[in-house]
Amino acid sequence: MNMSDVLLTFESVEIRRGMSIVISDFSLTILSAEVVVLHGENGCGKSTIIEAAARILPIEKGQISQHGKMVIDSDGRRMMPTVPFGLTLQQNGLVGSDTISEHLNNMMSICKMKTNLAPILKQYSLDHRSNDLISHLSGGQQRKVSVIAGLLPAMISKSPRLILLDEPDAGLDDDAVQTLCRHITSLRLAGHAFLIATHDERILKCATRINNLNQDSEQEPQQGEIWQIPKIEVVASNNFIKVGFTYNFKTKAGFANNGIAGFLALGILLSLVEPFKLDNLLGLKMGFVLLPAFVAGLCGDPVVNLLRENRALDWWQANTATPRAVILPIIGGAILTTISSYIFLGNLQIIIIIAGSLCALFCSLIIGLLQLSTNKLSRPQAVFIRLLTPILILPWSIVVNELTAYI
Amino acid sequence: MGERIRIGFLGLGFVGIMSTLYLGFMWAPSVAIDAFESPAAQKIFYWHVPSAWAAFIAFAVLFVGSALWFFKRSPTGWRLHIAGAEAGLATGLMTVWSGTIWGSAEWGTPWDWSDVRLNTFGLLTLLALFLVLGRRSQPDGIETRDTFSTFGLFGFVLVPFTYIATRIWVIRHPGPVVATGTGGSLHSDMALVLLIGAISFTIFIIGHILTSMHITKLEQRVEMLQREIDRSD
Repeated sequence: MNMSDVLLTFESVEIRRGMSIVISDFSLTILSAEVVVLHGENGCGKSTIIEAAARILPIEKGQISQHGKMVIDSDGRRMMPTVPFGLTLQQNGLVGSDTISEHLNNMMSICKMKTNLAPILKQYSLDHRSNDLISHLSGGQQRKVSVIAGLLPAMISKSPRLILLDEPDAGLDDDAVQTLCRHITSLRLAGHAFLIATHDERILKCATRINNLNQDSEQEPQQGEIWQIPKIEVVASNNFIKVGFTYNFKTKAGFANNGIAGFLALGILLSLVEPFKLDNLLGLKMGFVLLPAFVAGLCGDPVVNLLRENRALDWWQANTATPRAVILPIIGGAILTTISSYIFLGNLQIIIIIAGSLCALFCSLIIGLLQLSTNKLSRPQAVFIRLLTPILILPWSIVVNELTAYI
Repeated sequence: MGERIRIGFLGLGFVGIMSTLYLGFMWAPSVAIDAFESPAAQKIFYWHVPSAWAAFIAFAVLFVGSALWFFKRSPTGWRLHIAGAEAGLATGLMTVWSGTIWGSAEWGTPWDWSDVRLNTFGLLTLLALFLVLGRRSQPDGIETRDTFSTFGLFGFVLVPFTYIATRIWVIRHPGPVVATGTGGSLHSDMALVLLIGAISFTIFIIGHILTSMHITKLEQRVEMLQREIDRSD
């Protein structure tokens, strides 16, 4: 066995969910041109294995490697796979405000490749809806998008890719399942490898091995035509800042989450005092100038909030870095500080506007980090993470004091 | 650890704390009339400083417990984490609450957002509140324990930071009165009452931690029995 043929390895892996050990001493090796189907009753740990292979779940013992390189181990190390892989989660991992083509383009961008999607979408009867928002699609159509996104890394690659599919048939109509089976077979023949969790008999026939989590059994898979790679071109990968900016710009989530709060703070300040009566109170005026940007930043990272939909955050974290809102807090903070400077100081100073802009960015990034840190909890929205945010008042008040002294 | 020992610690600590308050208010000398803006409010010192001392012990327990769970997966470590967070919350609130009363009388404001020491201690107390409330909002599991123990470890970074802050960034809050390395500036009677207070709070917090660990152990036992019943059904 050549090491370059090994696409996925589980070495004596133990995984817990809740307080129970779900997977114990599990070992598995998947080679190029293999389709391994995990088959077993509900709750036996099929999805757990898929999610561990995608580095979404931590492991207690052992390690998991992709293409011969460790991607997660029991010491908590998580390394980004050197080769892109395909992933379809049970809950799709889609953001409703993306169009079909935008989501699939994001996946292709992670693979640093691009192709014409129309022929692929046509095979799943989605070509006429490529520019529709995902939130406007039916459940079955959303599932198709999620499955295509999972298959894409293999569809546009000449070298073997690993594809992880969790219950890909769930919600698909008969035609779509048959198309999926045809694609799995043809991509296998092109050298790609699959790990699939399913109960569907038609997908079981595509398997080269069936694993019931205790033992493997080999079988003769169904045959088909080898996958013909469409015309592809190499593109640069979108970084997390660009993707975050696109999400934020498109959904206006930054304005809805942060901007409105900043303007409300400004409105409340104006309802309390008349700016011209603050003439001799420079420290207070400076606080008022920087407060709207600070409040806007305290509302957190709007992109992180957006990605909590349908486990999109997990999907992004598995595939690449988490998209973050970086550019819009800078712009939003500058706009709010410019307005409040004009109102309370009667003039505009670039240093104050930069301070307001950085204030919004810093707060938004810190709170985004706090939000991400609780993402692995069962109920991340129920945790009281914002109790820790008052500490941000300290650096804010230091900035206010320093700027007051400077002016 | 036997029930009598736990109750003994709590009882002895409670009596000691009450004695400290009595001695502080009735026996210890008052500060010079021109030494403070509000000399009468200085008596809060006998509650404020020992409770802050006890809070640091609780936060140390929280750190040790978090580390034991995070690195060793020790069930005792998790119980220490819970006990440390609960004790840290109780003593942290005692310190912050008494400090704000003293601050109102002495400085004219209950809180100073630009004082590093106040804010880092406030954050430690909020961290304890976050851990106590957050744990109750989540089902017990490996992800919950890992996440909260990570925050427990992070919180302890603030302890040496707060310690250093008391020496570097003294803005409003006075510098340390004990462990200054110069013999201190307290009257011997004041120092004696303060020492009794620190010992009493230490004994009380040990009793609190032991009781909390015992309660968590019982809760875990009930949960295990419930799971066994679920399986047998």
